[in-house]
Amino acid sequence: MAEEKLEITLLETLDHLLDRGVVIAGEAVISIGDVDLLYLGLNIVLANVEAMQRTGRK
Amino acid sequence: MKSIVIGIHFQRDDVEPVTTAIPVENLFASVHAVDDDRPLADRDLLIEIAAVRARLLDRATFIAIRYGFSVRDANELASKCAGRTAKWRALLVEHRDEVEMTLKAPAAARPPRPDRRDFESGAAYLRALHDAAHTADLDPKFRGAVERTLVRRATGHRWIREAASVELAMLVRRSDLAAIRDAGEQLRAEFASTPFLLSGPWPLEVFSADDHQ
Repeated sequence: MAEEKLEITLLETLDHLLDRGVVIAGEAVISIGDVDLLYLGLNIVLANVEAMQRTGRK
Repeated sequence: MKSIVIGIHFQRDDVEPVTTAIPVENLFASVHAVDDDRPLADRDLLIEIAAVRARLLDRATFIAIRYGFSVRDANELASKCAGRTAKWRALLVEHRDEVEMTLKAPAAARPPRPDRRDFESGAAYLRALHDAAHTADLDPKFRGAVERTLVRRATGHRWIREAASVELAMLVRRSDLAAIRDAGEQLRAEFASTPFLLSGPWPLEVFSADDHQ
């Protein structure tokens, strides 16, 4: 029960971190879609952006 | 190194020594420096940022910046925040002693999805789809109890209706946090079969968003 509560708290905290607050240019992509798309986008889109930036610097 | 921007704060002491403060006009941004090679989607990084965010809120109320915004230096930060700091400063002054709390609950009944065959035009169908995504509502009895127990203690509130759930965002005085939590427990006892999540405190998230100004 305590573990479940901790997990809900963590999920809720991450939901607020990822989906709330002032949007400033450059990160709107991760707020599109429902929760599944949000996390999918976070894993794929941001990883690709990072990879592209690294590639661009080489 | 890049600096992930966590929030906008009224004064430097609201940020330091929890994390680094970068001036942005007459306010301060809290940032968390990370290596360029570290992906923003790193799970451990998300948890680190969430922990810093919580410690910052312990010190003072701030405006939350949605995760994912990072800058190289103060100049880049200033250029991307240009034109917004006056409004942010006013918000921080107005809500200095307040934080946000949220209540999330599933909708009492999910409205039926619009059927394309009921609409003459695609535009009307799309409008109906959009509207249907924001029509959820709570059981009236539960909603009435929420109004009586939680909303009356808030200094501001907004109902956010999604397709299958409803969220109540509240502005709450820090001194009223314990009373809000107690009211939440009473609500849970009164409506044992109604699942809901009361969470917080949070920084200014809903009440600082541009579309709510």
